[in-house]
This record gives sequence, structure tokens and C-alpha cells, in this order.
Amino acid sequence: MLAETLSASILGVDGVPVRVEVDVAFGLPALTIVGLAGSQVQEARERVRSALRNSGFEVPARRITVNLAPADLPKDGTGYDLAIAVGILAASGQLPRHDRLSVTGLVGELALDGALRPVAGTMALAAAVRDAGVPEMIVPGASVGEAATAGVRAYGAATLGHAIRHLAGVEMMVAGAAALPASLPQEAAGPDLAEVDGQQVARRALEIAVAGHHNLALCGPPGIGKTLLLRCAAGLLPPLEDDEAVAVSRIYSVAGLLDRRAPLVRARPFRAPHHTISTQALVGGGPRVRPGEASLGHRGVLMLDETLQFRADALDALREPLESGSVTIARVEGALSLPARFTLLAAFNPCPCGWRGSHGRACTCEDAVARRYTARLSGPLRDRIDLWVTMAEPERRTAGSASRSRHPEASRVVAARVAAAWRRQLDRQGRANAELPAPQFDERHGFAAPLLELLTRRGRRFGLSPRRMHRTARVARTVADLEGESTVNALHLDEALRYRAAALP
Amino acid sequence: MIGVGAAGAAVGATTAERSPAGADAFGRAQSPHRQGWRTLELGHLDPAAERPFWVALAQVPGVGPVGFARLLHRYGSARAAWAAGAELLAELPRVTGEATTALRHLRREGPSAVLARVERATRLAGGEVLTVLDAAYPRSLSEIDPRPPVLFVAGSSDAFDAPGVAVVGTRRATGYGRACAADLGDELARAGVTVISGLALGIDGEAHAAAVAAGGRSIGVLPSPLDRIYPPRHRELARRMLACGGALVSELATGQSIGRPDFARRNRIIAGLARAVVVVEAPDRSGALLTAAAAVDYGRDLHAVPGPIDAVASAGCNRLIADHLASLVTSPAALLHAIGTSAGRRPVSVASLSEAEGLVLGGLLRRSGSIEEMIGRTGLRTGVLASALTLLEARGLVDNYGGATFHPTLAARRIGTVPDRAR
Repeated sequence: MLAETLSASILGVDGVPVRVEVDVAFGLPALTIVGLAGSQVQEARERVRSALRNSGFEVPARRITVNLAPADLPKDGTGYDLAIAVGILAASGQLPRHDRLSVTGLVGELALDGALRPVAGTMALAAAVRDAGVPEMIVPGASVGEAATAGVRAYGAATLGHAIRHLAGVEMMVAGAAALPASLPQEAAGPDLAEVDGQQVARRALEIAVAGHHNLALCGPPGIGKTLLLRCAAGLLPPLEDDEAVAVSRIYSVAGLLDRRAPLVRARPFRAPHHTISTQALVGGGPRVRPGEASLGHRGVLMLDETLQFRADALDALREPLESGSVTIARVEGALSLPARFTLLAAFNPCPCGWRGSHGRACTCEDAVARRYTARLSGPLRDRIDLWVTMAEPERRTAGSASRSRHPEASRVVAARVAAAWRRQLDRQGRANAELPAPQFDERHGFAAPLLELLTRRGRRFGLSPRRMHRTARVARTVADLEGESTVNALHLDEALRYRAAALP
Repeated sequence: MIGVGAAGAAVGATTAERSPAGADAFGRAQSPHRQGWRTLELGHLDPAAERPFWVALAQVPGVGPVGFARLLHRYGSARAAWAAGAELLAELPRVTGEATTALRHLRREGPSAVLARVERATRLAGGEVLTVLDAAYPRSLSEIDPRPPVLFVAGSSDAFDAPGVAVVGTRRATGYGRACAADLGDELARAGVTVISGLALGIDGEAHAAAVAAGGRSIGVLPSPLDRIYPPRHRELARRMLACGGALVSELATGQSIGRPDFARRNRIIAGLARAVVVVEAPDRSGALLTAAAAVDYGRDLHAVPGPIDAVASAGCNRLIADHLASLVTSPAALLHAIGTSAGRRPVSVASLSEAEGLVLGGLLRRSGSIEEMIGRTGLRTGVLASALTLLEARGLVDNYGGATFHPTLAARRIGTVPDRAR
């Protein structure tokens, strides 16, 4: 006898509906799973067998064939267990009615005693089920909020028995509630800007960077607060919009990083991978494609401390997401695209010893070594960084007086300015200034003709490429937004130009 | 001289290889110059007849400026030395197998063929070959000992007739050093003085570039052959120097590879060509201190730009001043006065500045500083300061030379009377 259930598989950060066909036929007792099933799926045979028996059902002593369709899509993971088990019961006549099977998606890993365990990516899987026109879904109890957020009627089952009783109409479960959209104030993350002494220029550049989603690079000797400053960005980011929250949560769901009690990410992600990270871990990939740090920083921040210590190929792999906002992973079976529109915050020393060009200490690096060091930041990557700040240790004669005399602003104050500037951008163009296309540098977006002429003149004076001039214009737009002005003026432009790239040694 | 310390020691090490035990090039030995150039009588030699032998001999590895003088002492002329065959190698302080092989090849080729080959290759690189006997050989170099027997020169040879001042310093220059080098290069060029330097990154390049930008003449002494300008990054600068009536000088024939000693030898030629040497910024153990040591030995005036006493990059300069080896440079104008020239006529244009810009420029004219420091001094907001600095930079009134500290340029100093509202 034949039965069919619906489950789903993860492809990149998207879900794909998978039909689980089960045939129970005469022949030697066997359980075979076909359809490019990976080893985790093959192991489902043992889990399903034990779970069925321990839940009081019978595993028919027949020849059972399970096909996962589409059969050309490689499948991995443990989420098919529930669909396979239900399929076997239906095909062997142990499930009295089949009518609910066509309107219910099934996702979950089975324990040997029949309990259901959550799987990664439930949100994306639920979205795939919903898109396939199936309105309901049974998921492990812990994942119900996650699935409901994707827009299906989600039932959280604790065990296989609960799921079967629901499907049989014996004991209906109550649909779970979706996670609330982000409306609560975020709790402050990272260190507070009030802890950062001095470094006014870098503070200002950081404020501009997070307000308009521009990429920032801080270059300077060790120990002057580059890392601390960048870490403060976590507490300055503008709020995450609802549609962004869903997209970000989906990525986190696939990566298995979602907090299941609050399955909607409410704050912009702040990712700070260590510099020993592999290229695959940074941009995503692997045999079963997983999102990398670049995607986990989607709509948030990717902070690369000691940027020049990262592998050169890992850094270069960031060129694509920095330009297009997504990572493409090419496979024989086709290309996959993962969203990765992050703000890059970079910090590095000017040379391996860190003291090149500084006042009080001598650099001990060979010239060629220092050049090779900075060459790791390739030209195309440099070109995509909007704000550059060369930081210096405070000179002795001013260290005591100038910087201490003022109270450093707290993160709360700066975050309020950033949020207001972000709101202005959304109201005007519905996206961040960093994503404003060049043809929209017009009156409606606050760029008057004389200002664009000035930009061209300055660009020629400082030898900027057209791409750099466009990036400068976007930064100037953010400077104006931070000042609360609808028109970009020459002062805003000149300030943006101050943060243009400096020559590295 | 002894006070140059580490640099002095380095000089000793490099010259010891090329001279007999004890007799070093800077006259610190017991019997200075017994076999040097100064005691040589060259007047009776026929330049045209000697030329092939000079050029061929100079191609033998190990026959440096010192070795060449010893050969002339022993044999009287290059032609006679050449006739001595492999024997001449016995006169040299240190002979390698490489030298023996090279001499054998050169002898097989014949001196006139060697000359023709070297001249052709040099012409292709845009230069000419000069021996000490030639009339065009820089007069200032024919006073020094040891002097390069053969020089490869590109550009106009009358560049050597005008008075020249060497502006040298570290490759790892700070913004302060760059600003000073640019100021000095500019002022010297405007006063009609030729700026001589080593075309290296950092101070050297900054001085050359400023001289060329001011339309002045500049001579670059290369550590490399004329066809392989080192560093490659300054190829374009070298081209502009030639276009402005300057010259490039090298001790190496085209095609030769360069090594560490070539950089030290280059520094000697810089000091030899110049009437005075200014060390702009040099840490301890900087190559620029070799130039300073050579300047002292050749009797050139030595000047040094001081730096803060805690600035590593200026430690060498400060030491030169403290040891009374160099006189302290207080301003470009004072330097011009010290070398007996006066400042050239300079166009002055008074730019119209906003209040913030005037405040910032006024503050910087009093003392260079980073945006950080300017915030403390002017009380302006970071954003306002940043945009004022960009505008001033666009007008060529300030420059940060890629660092965090901003310096007023010469153009800004010439405005002179900036509304003094700082503080």
C-alpha cells in the first residue's frame, strides 16, 4: 500500500518542500530509503524503527521503500524522521484516516522512545511548506514558535503518539502562537561608548558607519582602543525592521543559532569572527551548504578585528557580498545564493609590529614585509570601504589635557541620533544610504546640482575613482541625516571626504 | 664624525671590504689616502684613449672606487693596468672567483667592444657614460675621495653646474618629516638651488617631488642602474625630474644587479654632489646618517632638522645637532641664508576662508596637530573640523601625508596673516 507525506529540506537558507513517499509491499522484511539520502537520513531507519515500536505501533515485516522527492536534490539532516514514520503508519494501515496528511507538513527528529526533537532551520522549512500551499504543520514542541512565525498553523507535538492522535483526529492539538514582532526596546549590547576616552574622529566615523550602513576601517598602532570602539557598535545599531527580522531569523534558524524561546531575532546581528576563520566559515559553504559569518551578519555588522591577520583568500571572498549583498556558492548541481548584506567594520595595525608611522615607537618591520602585510587588503576590497580613519596614540603634550576635559558621550545618546538618522533614510528611500543607487543622487534625495559639481571637483583634486565618488556621496547623505537635514551641503560632503582612504605604507 | 655611532660603524664595515686593513675611506686611519684619488696625477692621461679601459675595468666585480685608485697608483693608467692581465687582481683588497671569471670574459671581448656595448645599453636607458677624465664629469665629485671612476648619468649634464643641496632622510618618514622635506624642497627649488637626493621612499621622494612641483631642478642618485629605477614606485617621479631639467646618476652599468653596499655607496655620491647636506628626519642607524658622515668627510656643510626629543624618527638628527656635527635648521629661509642664497620670489595668493577654516589654519600654523588635538584647541565639533580640514586640503593649505597629524603647507605659511582667532 502507498502513502505520501510532506516534509521539507534546506537549500542554502531557503526551504524546499520534499514529498516522502512510502510503499509497503510483500517481500523480505527491509526498510530502504532512496532519493539522494545522506548518511543522517539513512540512520533514520533505525530511529524510526525504534520510535515506532516504543510508541506502541508495529513495524510491518514487509518490504518498505521510502522515496524522498524530488529525488535529484541531495538531502541531509534528521528532520525527515517524523514524515517517514507517519508515512509507514499510513501505508501499513495503522493510521485510520489520511485526509489530514495532504494539509499537514511534518518536520522533526525522532528519539528512540518516540519523543520529537527540534531540528535546525524550522523557520525556513515552515516557509517552504506554506509556499507549497499546505496550511498546517506538525513540528517538535520546542519549535512551534519558530514555525508559526513563518506563517503556518503550527502544532507542537511532544511525541510521535501526539502527532498520530492529531492526524487521526482523536485528540487535536492547539496551534502555537507566532513570536511577537520586534517592538520591545532592545537591551544594550557590547561595551558603552562612555568607556572610550578621546578618539573623537574614530567615534564620529563609527556613528556615521552604523547610521548609514557604510563600511569602516580603523588603522592604527596597538592598544589605542580600535577593538573597544568597534565593539561599541553593537549598542549603536538602529532597530531591526520587521521584514528584516524575518529574513535574519530564517538565516539563524538554518544555522541552528535561534533562541527557540524567542524565535524572532530582534536586534541587528553583530558578528565578530576570529581571524583564524576559514573561507568557508566566513562566507558559507561546505558539503551541505551552511550560511557563513557574512550571512549571519546580514542586516547587521561583520566586525573583523585584526583584519590583516585573516587569510587573504577569506578577505577576498568578501568582495562579492560587499558589492551585491549576497554570497553565491557554485556547485555542479547549480548555484546557491545566500543573503549577506552586512556593514563591515575593520580594524588593523599598519604593519606586523604595529608601530609604522607612529610618533613614539620605531617600527621594526622590513619595508617589504610591511608592504606584503597591507597588500592582503586587496585594491578591490579597499575600494569598497567607505570610511577610513588613521588613528594615532595621543601625543604626550596633549594626552592629559585635551581628551580628558570632555565627558565622552554615552552609547545611549549616540544610538538615539543613529536611530533618528535611520528613520529619515527609511522614510525617504526605504533603504540604507549605503544601498542608494547612484542614479538617485538627485534633488529628491537631497543632492543639488552644485553639490554634485563640487563632488566632481573634489574627486578630481583628490584623485578619486567614480566608484569612490559615489561612495563618498552616500556617506555625505548620512552625515546630513545625522544632522537632521534634508539637503546635503558642502560641509557634509567635505566631512565625508575627510574619511576617504589613506595610502597604506 | 665618531659621534655618528652606529652609522659610523656601518661605514667602517662597508669600506673595510674595499680597502687595505686600517685605511678607511673617511680618513680615520693612520695613513689616509696614500693610495687614494687625491694624490693621483691624471692630467697627462688622454681621455679618449683611456676611456675603453676605464669602462672595462670598472665592469670587473671588486674594482670599486677604492680599488680603481690603487690600480692607477700601481700601473699609472687604466690601459697599463689592463695590459697586466689577471695580475691586476692581486692589487685588489678582496678577489672573488667571480672577479677572475669576469675579467677573463671582458678580456676576451676586448675593451673597445665592452665600451661600445656599455655605451649602447646606457643610451637605450637614456643616459651617457662619464669617466673621471671626462670634462662633463661633475666637478664637485672630482673633489672627493674615493670617487666613482665611471658614472652613468641621464638628463642634462649642466644640472651639476648649479649649486646643489642634498635633502635626505629616512624612508619611514612621519608626517612631520614629510612636511619638512616638502617645505625645504620647495624653498630650495624656488631659490634656484638644485635639490639632490636618493629618490628613495619617504623624505627623499618628498623633497624631489616638491622641487619638481615648484619647477626646480632635482638630481636623483640611484642605488640601481639607470634602466631599473629603484624603488619602482618612483619611476614617474624620476621621469618628471628629467623633464624639469634634472638628472639621474648611477654608479652601476645597466643590467647589473643591486645589493646592500650599493645603497651605502649611493649616499656618498649624494654628499659629494652637494654643497650642503640637510638631514630632515633620521632615526638612529638610518642610511641618511651615512650621507651625513660622508658630508663631514668631504667638508660639506651639514644641517639637520630637529624633532621632539621623544620622537624615534628624529633621534639621529637630534644626535647630529647635539654632537655639534650639524647645524640646526630653524626654517627653510634660515637654511637658504646659511648656504648663502636668498629666498626666491614667490607668488602669494590670499584665499578667502570661512571662520572655522581660519580658526583651524591659524591653529595649525601655530603648531601642527591631529584632529583630536585640534578639537581641544579650537573647541569645534569633530564634523565641522573634519570638513574644514578637507576644504583646506583641497586648497593645498594643509596636508596630513597619510597620517593622523595635519601640517600647514608652505602655501599656507605664505598667506602669513591668517586671522588669528585660535584660542
